[in-house]
Amino acid sequence: MKNAAAWIRAGLAVIGLGTGRSVPPDELFRRFRAVLENNNRSLEIITDIGETLGGDYLFDIQYVRRSYADLSASLERSLASFDVLTRGRYRGLDTVFRSIDGTIRHAIDEQVPARGDLVVFSERLGDHDAGAAGGKAMNLAELGNRLNMEVPAAFVITAQAGDAFLKHNRVRELSGLSGADATEANYQEAQELILHGEMPPNLARAIESGLKKLRKRCTKDCYLAVRSSAGEEDGEFSFAGQFGTVLNVPAEIGAVEKAYRKVLASLFDPGPVAYQRRLGYRAADMQMAVICMVMVDAAVSGITYSRDPRGASDTIVINAAWGLGSAIVEGRIEPDQFRVKRGSATGEIEQRIGSKDRLTVRKSGGGTEIRSVPAPARGRASLSPQQVHKIAGLAEEIERHFRRPQDIEWAIDGEGNVFILQSRSLRPDVQAPESAGATGQSTDVKPIIHAHGSPVYRGAAAGRVFVLRNMSDLDRIPRGAVVVARHDSSQLVRVMTDVAAIITDTGSVTSHMASLCREFRLPTAVNAGDMTRTLVTGQQVTVRVNEDGVTVYPGIVPQLLGAVKGREVRMEELAEYRKKRYLLRYIAPLNLVDPMRDEFVPKACRTLHDILRFIHEKSVAQLIDNADRGWRSHSAVHLDLPIPAGIVLIDIGNGVSKVNGQDRVTAGQVTSLPFQAVIRGMVHPDLWRSDAVPLRVRDFLSSMLRATDIVADGAPRATASVAVISREYVNLNLKFGYHFIILDSYCSDTVRNNHIYFRFAGGATDLTKRSRRLRFMETVLRDRGFLIRLKGDMIIARLAGVGQEEMESQLDLLGRLISYTRQLDAVLQDDDMAVRYAEKFLATAPGSTVHR
Amino acid sequence: MAQSRIMVIDDEKIVGDMAKMSLEQEGYAVETFLSAEPALRRLEEERFDVVVTDYKMKGIDGMEVLRTVRSLHPATQVIMITAFANLDAAIEALRRDVHDFFPKPVKIKELKASIKRALEK
Repeated sequence: MKNAAAWIRAGLAVIGLGTGRSVPPDELFRRFRAVLENNNRSLEIITDIGETLGGDYLFDIQYVRRSYADLSASLERSLASFDVLTRGRYRGLDTVFRSIDGTIRHAIDEQVPARGDLVVFSERLGDHDAGAAGGKAMNLAELGNRLNMEVPAAFVITAQAGDAFLKHNRVRELSGLSGADATEANYQEAQELILHGEMPPNLARAIESGLKKLRKRCTKDCYLAVRSSAGEEDGEFSFAGQFGTVLNVPAEIGAVEKAYRKVLASLFDPGPVAYQRRLGYRAADMQMAVICMVMVDAAVSGITYSRDPRGASDTIVINAAWGLGSAIVEGRIEPDQFRVKRGSATGEIEQRIGSKDRLTVRKSGGGTEIRSVPAPARGRASLSPQQVHKIAGLAEEIERHFRRPQDIEWAIDGEGNVFILQSRSLRPDVQAPESAGATGQSTDVKPIIHAHGSPVYRGAAAGRVFVLRNMSDLDRIPRGAVVVARHDSSQLVRVMTDVAAIITDTGSVTSHMASLCREFRLPTAVNAGDMTRTLVTGQQVTVRVNEDGVTVYPGIVPQLLGAVKGREVRMEELAEYRKKRYLLRYIAPLNLVDPMRDEFVPKACRTLHDILRFIHEKSVAQLIDNADRGWRSHSAVHLDLPIPAGIVLIDIGNGVSKVNGQDRVTAGQVTSLPFQAVIRGMVHPDLWRSDAVPLRVRDFLSSMLRATDIVADGAPRATASVAVISREYVNLNLKFGYHFIILDSYCSDTVRNNHIYFRFAGGATDLTKRSRRLRFMETVLRDRGFLIRLKGDMIIARLAGVGQEEMESQLDLLGRLISYTRQLDAVLQDDDMAVRYAEKFLATAPGSTVHR
Repeated sequence: MAQSRIMVIDDEKIVGDMAKMSLEQEGYAVETFLSAEPALRRLEEERFDVVVTDYKMKGIDGMEVLRTVRSLHPATQVIMITAFANLDAAIEALRRDVHDFFPKPVKIKELKASIKRALEK
């Protein structure tokens, strides 16, 4: 058997720990505990903020400031101790922290980080430029810079530049937009001022110089797509198709300036303004970045949903058509649709060929035009199976990166290169439970018409028909109408708050209008055939949209409407709320998950949670490393248990009795009081023979082995589980797969000093099971008198000031719980079961006094 | 039954916006104000069933709002919310007969329950 320390060293080498001067053990350990304490505190604050900003609380900026100050301070303390612990090996981490911290503080104070640049190239956009570059440009930059995907060369005219333009021309003051009650006339005035105002000279120079560089990167002729990348556009909440886009703009200063003004002016279009106002945005505060990207000479374009937004979440949906993509997103044509199962690189493709009778192409000299598609090409699939698989693969990769389902716009040029033009979060078609009509309520009423169509948002609604033949009639649509139109159009956003349902003859579920209807939870079906000819303006109808398509009944059919409530604006749509919640993206997500796979270096940390994770991982590793090399009296040894838990022990004072040179010890040699109790619980025979749970012991063992045992399978693992022990103390850091368990306990005959801190987090199973597991643990721990905090997927249990005997009994219980919960995922089929198992578990637990 | 009318006064927009949205879901008619002055002017025109007000605001503060409400509409219930769990303020407010007192962050569910109780009085 190879020496355990050698294995650990090998493991550490994997994650880049070198050697160096050692720090005195006591000092080192003191720092280690300080890191843990501050990390624990930080995590609690993070979950607290997450909960408070989750929509269930009224909070103000004071709360955010105060909580963030606490978080930042405790992270700083953690970093200071970490720095000593690791002897300054990860100084870069401090720089990363300062940068994220700065971004968050700016965001709290609602100051856009002072990125002075008016024009920034895509490849130079970093994590904290979202305010300056807008969501669309940021996402695209990320795909190019991080995933090395093919994206068009581009630069961004920043939000600051747009603001400078507005200020230079005193647009807000002159148009009267700074007042509280801006009218449509004020907005029009603002647009005029933008279209005809003076270009600030420094902005003109910056754009000119950007164009010069961009032209060098064009292969043939050089034309640009000039598109908005407004504040949150394409962030969590889409402003799909709300703002201007000018396609095929010659890469010359005059043309680009003109296009820029046009896009900037769209900030004050009536549609977007209505939409933003509804969400609480103030026109005076709106900012816009504009992205100028090299036009792809598209032979085929399309939209991909990385998951079918209508429920089949294992399916990727690709809509494609000839030429540029604008015809599809505007819903002007019926595209081809390809459906392919996720994770199947060569899987079967289900395809439906659309009529795609027209296509949009680039016009020479600038602009675009619509042409008729020759008959043979209409009936032909626009993508080959290889292309479908390639695009599906890209979609999955993008989703993995952003960790959310994506709505992706792409184009394929004449040489067959696939370019990503845009990617944003996809809002799934989640049905409100009250929309009874969607779920199969039946009626005897004979329908006027049923069409298969394509459901965009399911539900039922009643109202009077308004057949919209021309967009100029938008303002004539009465409140509560069922709008029936020939095509889908994002212009309909102007009335979406007021109408009952939308049905269109043609159109696509991937259009801008469709995204907006989902956001507004508006019963909508597109591609429904002849509705404009069948239905008549003024007719009272009830519309039902479900998976079978759209059915229209005469009059009001109450059975179908069920308990449908009025569509309400939801909390997550509120501008102010979103602004605050936006902070969380720099704080809470965890990107550094697996030290063996993810890039575990300071600069890979993108959030404060990442930094905490990094600190924790490296601190534990450092402790083992030091123990192994520096401390003859505190050396690391393997703990042999009857169950494979892969725990390395670091004894800091009478925690284990062993002979010198021994590198493995048995449970019997452990003399640490609290750890003895935990081990007793972990290996308790009842637990491993229990008939109460259909144990899948083999699975359990193998998963434990995979995740934690650093010697068993011969491969060095950096992610060892570690117990730092003394006679009266244990600090156990345990990993089972993606679960993280921390148990910190002092157990002596001095009641006052005794404490238990137990934290359980994570888990790779699905959310429902995870929450059942937490419910189970909560039931058990509450029953045993622990103070519980249950946050997200984390449970924290505390107990203090109890006598030694009870401490040992509680630690035994935690040991059992650790072993037991790992096995639960497979069997917890429902919520009641979680409670039943908790009761059973308690009945056999030591010192059980409570009977139910 | 007529819709109950709720007034929310808080100098932070987010509080009013979130309160309005949540309370409208309960079927109340909600008006929000960013400061006490216009709110008090509005109270002179119209009676509200419940006034939810921030305790500490620039200009006229929550206590002043409470006094005005008491003199204008004795039957109107006042709920005070405050940035910090300020014990003195709480005692003072309760002494003056506010219906309820919440430190921020306020759990919306609890605020709703409190308003419901206030309306049953």
